[in-house]
Amino acid sequence: MNLNLPAIGAATDAATISPLALFIQADIVVKGVMLGLLLASIWTWAIIIGFSFSLRKASKESRKFEEDFWKAEDIDRFYESRGKAEFPAAKVMAAGVTEWRRSTAQKVIDRDGTRDRLSTSMSSSIASEIDRLSDRLNVLATVGSVAPFVGLFGTVWGIMRAFTGIAAAQNSSLAVVAPGIAEALFATAIGLFAAIPAVIAYNRFSHGINRLEARLTRFADGFYATLSRELEAQR
Amino acid sequence: MERAEKIGLGVATAAHVLLFGLLSAGFLSTPNPLKLNSPPMDINLVDEVALKSAAPQISTQPPPPSVAPDKGPTEDAKPAPEPEPQPEPAPAPAKAQPRPTPPPPKPVKESPPKPQEKPAPAKKEVAKTHAKPKPAPEKPAPKAKAAPEKPKAAAAPAKTSKSTEKPKSATTARASGQGKADKPKGSLLGKDFLKGIDTSADAPRKVAPPPAATMGAAQKAALDRVISEQIYPHLRLPSGADVEQLIAILDVKLDQNGRVVGRPSVIDVQGETASNRPQVSVYKERAIQAVMAASPFRNLPDEYYEQWKWLKLRVDARKAR
Repeated sequence: MNLNLPAIGAATDAATISPLALFIQADIVVKGVMLGLLLASIWTWAIIIGFSFSLRKASKESRKFEEDFWKAEDIDRFYESRGKAEFPAAKVMAAGVTEWRRSTAQKVIDRDGTRDRLSTSMSSSIASEIDRLSDRLNVLATVGSVAPFVGLFGTVWGIMRAFTGIAAAQNSSLAVVAPGIAEALFATAIGLFAAIPAVIAYNRFSHGINRLEARLTRFADGFYATLSRELEAQR
Repeated sequence: MERAEKIGLGVATAAHVLLFGLLSAGFLSTPNPLKLNSPPMDINLVDEVALKSAAPQISTQPPPPSVAPDKGPTEDAKPAPEPEPQPEPAPAPAKAQPRPTPPPPKPVKESPPKPQEKPAPAKKEVAKTHAKPKPAPEKPAPKAKAAPEKPKAAAAPAKTSKSTEKPKSATTARASGQGKADKPKGSLLGKDFLKGIDTSADAPRKVAPPPAATMGAAQKAALDRVISEQIYPHLRLPSGADVEQLIAILDVKLDQNGRVVGRPSVIDVQGETASNRPQVSVYKERAIQAVMAASPFRNLPDEYYEQWKWLKLRVDARKAR
């Protein structure tokens, strides 16, 4: 009997970690799991990339806007030139200035009411900006917590299928068991592949959002103080 | 979806496709070490057949030849024994060489060879001390059978001489350092005398199988396999419940060609239950038929004929094909 060893080598080659081969060999349920997890991973990374751009841009421009604002001599003029921009600090300032103009347009100024309205409008503006920014964070959180379980489901399913295969073949040699187990474990691998970056990104971005929120709140408080002082000056 | 997210989606998709493409192409897989050094090799799956004697090897070779007497002289030696009743001279030669030559008067011609023979014992002692005490005893017996004419004469004198000489030849026996083996040969005729006959008589003798070829467990197993391989293809089971549990034990006699002699008889049937009882007699018959159909058995080791000429065969219904 001649055993051709190169043929065996080729067989083991087919069984090496080739995601495509593992995917094609897998059961339909496991295929679905894998596909879903792959899409989740793509979506996660899309969010990570887009979010890191937008967050960095927002915090950078907000900081610059803040610095410029405190240097500005005339708030009205500064608002006319820079206040229409599309980033959080500008929006907060716009909210404050808008409310200020509306409140002081009347003949009789209700100072306490104006202060309340200024505070409320700016804090709501901060909240809406933060909401808008952190819109995608929940996706990251969901993927980070659920993807491992989904992958595990695929693995459990695939291993069950492998065991039924073993029972059918009545042969528990490694060559029979291994491919099924490998393709089942591949589902967990993809789950972790999607979940790990999602969890890291979620923590990092929520930290960035919190910092941005704190910065905006400080800016709003300062602006509020300025407007409040200005309100005193109005007769 | 913002612009940044669109960009992110595009980048992420491209990166995933790239990564999985590279993994699929075996970018990160380690090179298979088997490939590096795997010349094709032939693997032969051989059954464990061990048809070899488990008994110690017994040399069928004659002991190293000593100085053999010419054939002529050995024929002359036949007459020599005739004057056996000359035991008296025999003792004399035992003591000294010069005397033996005179006593056998007819073999006077032999006198030249005898001096040659006498030195021989010295060599023999060497040879014997080397080993092969067993072959030595064998020879006298077979000679008696195989070559009755000549040896008879030779053996007779040996015996007679034994009885008479024993006391006297004791010295020679001791000298040669041998036990019984030497004694029959006697000092009278010298060991070489028988040796010479050996060489002539041995040729026909060798044809007979070596005596002590006993089987080990492995041989027995191999023999069982050889036989069952030939029986089971012929075994047709009767139909019925639990027939597979029946085991018939047959008494089979084989001739040297592996042919069944006579008709095998069923010694015993095992595995009989209430449900297969009706089939027992049919199964017995089928088992006998299977053995008869398998006759003559092939591939039986000739040298173990003693072991397989009478066989107790287990015919197990479970092994029927």
